[in-house]
Amino acid sequence: MARRHKLDTTYHDRRLARRLKEDPEFRAEFERQRREIDQIDSIVRQLDTLREQAGMSKAELARAIGKEPSSIRRFFTADVNPELKTVAAVADVLGAEVKVVATKKTRARKARSRDRRAAA
Amino acid sequence: MEWGIVYFKARDGSVPADDFLDACPAKIEARFYAVLEAVRAAPPPQFSGGGYWEAMHGEMGGFHEIRLTGPGRRQYRLFCILDNADPDGLRERGFDRPQIAVIAGMVKDSGKKFSGRDYAGVKALGGQYSEGFPRLIAS
Repeated sequence: MARRHKLDTTYHDRRLARRLKEDPEFRAEFERQRREIDQIDSIVRQLDTLREQAGMSKAELARAIGKEPSSIRRFFTADVNPELKTVAAVADVLGAEVKVVATKKTRARKARSRDRRAAA
Repeated sequence: MEWGIVYFKARDGSVPADDFLDACPAKIEARFYAVLEAVRAAPPPQFSGGGYWEAMHGEMGGFHEIRLTGPGRRQYRLFCILDNADPDGLRERGFDRPQIAVIAGMVKDSGKKFSGRDYAGVKALGGQYSEGFPRLIAS
């Protein structure tokens, strides 16, 4: 019979909330890293979705780009740091491409800069 | 389902991961948190953690580590265990959902290796954690 003593598991959340509140340097780095990590994770997961939609096994994908099946299994399960050249090769085989797109904030800043130059 | 994050608390009352994170530069500490939050939001087998989160093998099999490079190429590592089971198993551990259990951290200079004794220390702490019913965690 399983015991039913539920533990208080909020320690991490409280600690993180405190650090975000008390240290602006911590907060800025945390938010920057979250954005960066989310982008990397999103790229790899999108590639995995494309692979599934193409009906391609990880082993088939590995063969198509000249890699060992185990390396592609690790690629999709966060066992290794994904290399950009592998990302590009996988995208190419799946009929996709990796693009860098300026954020709305950057586009707005460039537009303002253009307007200022035009007005001068 | 989003996982939880808990910190192992040793029988002597210390929280090794807490002590380690407190001693890290603020930016490194923030990066560890960012990786932990990313992994909890999209736990394995999905890809998450931006490449900083890796399964360990060999003598450290069963652990995952977050690998960061800090000022002066210092290498920071945070060792974790994925604690998952069926609902009864989770209840026995004191949880209502799977957890990323943060066990301990270590730092080394670039090019240096952790010794077998270093890893044995982390494994021993992980063993203490896994033997606890309910789990030994900071609260």
